[in-house]
Amino acid sequence: MRPRVSTLSLLLAAILWLAGARGSVGAAWPRQEPAEALTEARPQPEFLVIVDASHGGDDQGATLSGNLREKDLTLALARSLKVELEERGVSVHMVRESDVNVSLERRAEVANEARPNLYVALHVGQPGQGARVYAPALSPSTAGKEPFLPWESAQMASIEQSKSAARIVTAEMRKTGMSVRQMTTPLRPLNNVTAPAIAVEWATGSQGPKPQQTQKLEDALASSIAAGIVQVRHQIGARQ
Amino acid sequence: MIPRYFQIMAGVLLMLILILGTYMTYLRHREQALKPQAASEVPAAPPVTGRQERIRMLVAYDDDQALRWRDTVAFMPADRGLRARVALRSVLAQYSQTPSPHPLGHGADIKDVYLISDDTLVVDTTAEFADGHPSGILLEELTLTSLIETLAANVPGVNKVKFLVNGQERETLAGHADLMSFYQSSAIHELAKEFE
Repeated sequence: MRPRVSTLSLLLAAILWLAGARGSVGAAWPRQEPAEALTEARPQPEFLVIVDASHGGDDQGATLSGNLREKDLTLALARSLKVELEERGVSVHMVRESDVNVSLERRAEVANEARPNLYVALHVGQPGQGARVYAPALSPSTAGKEPFLPWESAQMASIEQSKSAARIVTAEMRKTGMSVRQMTTPLRPLNNVTAPAIAVEWATGSQGPKPQQTQKLEDALASSIAAGIVQVRHQIGARQ
Repeated sequence: MIPRYFQIMAGVLLMLILILGTYMTYLRHREQALKPQAASEVPAAPPVTGRQERIRMLVAYDDDQALRWRDTVAFMPADRGLRARVALRSVLAQYSQTPSPHPLGHGADIKDVYLISDDTLVVDTTAEFADGHPSGILLEELTLTSLIETLAANVPGVNKVKFLVNGQERETLAGHADLMSFYQSSAIHELAKEFE
């Protein structure tokens, strides 16, 4: 009887080993599953977006027509975007929620500490009308080959994802009929952010938005940016 | 005894002198406001030493959100640092025209240019260049791209450029464009293509 018991044990061990091996193979080469099936079958992993209302406090940013200040419009736009994103199941962390001074270095620190899936800086400026979506402009030669990334090129590890995110958000915003231009920019602090990072600039036109239209335009812009970010979540993926 | 009609006439004449004087002062102030900036405040003329050469400038046009190559002729010295300064001032001269394709702040100028190695330039601008620069991502990017591309076109071998403001480092030009980093000419060349 004893040899039969040991044979059974060996067989059981072999089955367990095979099951384990299949699991590890599955992890290395995941099966291609349709995105819809994934979203239906499993709960969405957390997707965190840092929304940065640029300027604030003493830093007024651009002075627009009708005495509108960039810092006020970016804050209002950030609040609308937060609401739109949360309605779509995206977690949001705001860099500032009131009219306070936040240095550019601190903005990057806030983003890097939170380890978000996407950092979005909001700006309002001239010239033109519509919106511009920017990816960071980072010279390839500034890439750090050292074990530690230089602060000025901390973005390097995420630059390709940032470009993809800018492309996706631009495409989604254009679906609303808005005039949207995709560009790259040496804007601070995008290059200091380690996560994928983009900036969206609302171009209000030389006359600026009429007071009664400002809220409506803000909401429409926030909604289109949020739709773009949701597409980024689908295409680039959530935090591992 | 001075006749009454004479007193009235003298009074009227005095009033007229006062009114005309005030009006003339007003006209003189208005004329000064409309006149181009004083010579000391605009970019200086290129130095007279050197050979007359064609300068290629990448000029920003705010209305079109575009950059376009333009030519001008100036005396270009042999020294690369001086060449850089002449080229940059030629671009700034375009922006100080009325009407300007890309208005900058009053007194925006290049203080000095330092060639710190064969391929690296540090450009020191006046405080007014940054303080009076219109704030905005696109507007600031247009300025830097225009200046760096003009440098690359007229001073061979320049690969890296950094900007100082009145001898000091500054975080941004006017709240947006990075002034802390060294700009690579090749990267800016790619950036400029977006404005064609």
